[in-house]
Amino acid sequence: MNEKVGQVTRRNAVAWLLRAGAGAGVAAFAALAARRPAGDRMVWQLDPRKCIQCGRCETACVLQPSAVKCVHGYVMCGYCKLCFGYFKPDAARLDEAAENQTCPTGAIRRQFVEDPYFEYHIDEPLCTACGLCVKGCTNFGNGSLYLQVRHDRCVNCNTCRIAETCPSQAFTRVPASQPYLLKEKLV
Amino acid sequence: MIQILIKRLSGLTVWLFPLGAAANSRFPRPQFDSGHTVPQATHPAFEALVPAWADVLILAVALGISVWLVRRVRSRRWILALSVACLAWFGFVKHGCICPVGSVQNVAVAAWSGGGLPWFVAALFALPLLTALLFGRVFCGAVCPLGALQDLFIVKPQRMPRALDAVLRLIPLVVLSVGLVYAVNGAGYLICRADPFVGFFRRSAPLPMLLTGMAVLLVGLVVARPYCRYFCPYGVLLEGCARLAWKRVDVTGRDCINCRLCAGTCPVDAIAVPRAALSDAARVRQFRRFVVMLALVPLLIAGCAGAGWLSGAFVAKAHPDVVLVNRLTAATAADEDLYPEIEAFKRTGQSRAWAEARAADTVERFRKGCAGAGAFIGLVMALRLLGLTRLQRRSLHEADRLRCVACGRCFAACPKNRE
Repeated sequence: MNEKVGQVTRRNAVAWLLRAGAGAGVAAFAALAARRPAGDRMVWQLDPRKCIQCGRCETACVLQPSAVKCVHGYVMCGYCKLCFGYFKPDAARLDEAAENQTCPTGAIRRQFVEDPYFEYHIDEPLCTACGLCVKGCTNFGNGSLYLQVRHDRCVNCNTCRIAETCPSQAFTRVPASQPYLLKEKLV
Repeated sequence: MIQILIKRLSGLTVWLFPLGAAANSRFPRPQFDSGHTVPQATHPAFEALVPAWADVLILAVALGISVWLVRRVRSRRWILALSVACLAWFGFVKHGCICPVGSVQNVAVAAWSGGGLPWFVAALFALPLLTALLFGRVFCGAVCPLGALQDLFIVKPQRMPRALDAVLRLIPLVVLSVGLVYAVNGAGYLICRADPFVGFFRRSAPLPMLLTGMAVLLVGLVVARPYCRYFCPYGVLLEGCARLAWKRVDVTGRDCINCRLCAGTCPVDAIAVPRAALSDAARVRQFRRFVVMLALVPLLIAGCAGAGWLSGAFVAKAHPDVVLVNRLTAATAADEDLYPEIEAFKRTGQSRAWAEARAADTVERFRKGCAGAGAFIGLVMALRLLGLTRLQRRSLHEADRLRCVACGRCFAACPKNRE
């Protein structure tokens, strides 16, 4: 089967047409998708107003411990002596003993300011994002403790495992230039 | 102290009112006599390792080098070196995200819903496909970190039985089409979730993911590149482009002497062996088969679309709307606070009928999507069946455009290359 020169040319032409068509298709599809450009990069963040402190941030993240941490919006804090984020509801004594603290890892540091006020600091490396303190503070206090994705830890997965399992769909993509949804600025 | 306690417990009554409105005024911030100043919380900024344009540039350069190595240098050793470098960079340094395989979903979601998409994600999606249109699947061989990792684990590759191979090669079609149905309907990125290796790249993963990754690598000792061949959804698109490729991977730049050494060394069974011209009787038989299969095409497409429609409700179970309704159905008054979905739903103040209507709507969308996915799978199956009846004759050994991942093992095996 010797192929004639003319046939070869026609074949080549058809092949190039198909190829160009497919290339244009891929390019057009990509361009259609990017017709509304989303800035430089998008990163994951959780909206503390939607968060119900279910505790999945601690367990669902691909990182162990989670890239989510508790943060403290000091300007919202009431500096309470009886802090519902710090103390267990059934705390026997209001002191720093581990059995009286909500935080299972003792990641909240309490610092005396003046009677009757205390300042609370998060020891971030210890925090596991279980959200117990956030629950106490949100339900009974000012809600100044809340969870945020920390961008020194988050590896910015294409699909966030916590976002997929978040019951209140509090996770969204935000522009990398403003990667936090800080409660004290949102409320 | 008791006074304080009573004051705090009165917060309970506040809690019964809608949150948010009362939340930040329960305990006003004190005026400190000691002059204590309220500290400012600091939040680490997001720092990309390299800017977005550099990500695209690095991918483009890696693809360019890969093409050059496969077509000009023709050295397995250098292709391996490039693949290890790409594994280190795209995998262990960049943690695997965002990769062209996963970008399919971002691009599809953005194209479908019109939401925003960073331009560089579109570029990451398109570059390997455009390269495949010209030079075949050179992305798979040396650039893709998933492929590179599996390539290192090829020890004693076995030839896959053709029938098993044909069946397993349907899986990527399912993963791609169902993954896109998931993504555009807002049920998360299935393709990323099913990535077995990204846990290694992050050096932190849930145990099932690590075990799956290890299992895939272990299978890869005897079945070369199992993820690439029998799972990778991007491979479907790359195959489609490689089918039209301008240049296929040449085993040898010189004349093939049909020594069969390349076929023996190819780990992914990608060397097409010579086929004699068919006798006239065989041609007639083959043509009859072609006609019969052509008649079967609509049946196949309709059947697969129907199966997709039926499986829609099952596939939709991963969608949060449907999860919520299933939770509401499963929960009793006693144990419903075990389900955070129900708590979150209660706060929205919507009725159960509203949630059920929303879930029914979602299931309907999934049915349609899965029917479409089924039709696509049926169409590809039909085309593959029709491809079996081709009359093309082949006199020399050559790389199959679809299966060849340009790993370059055959270059070293070919005696003509050593001359």
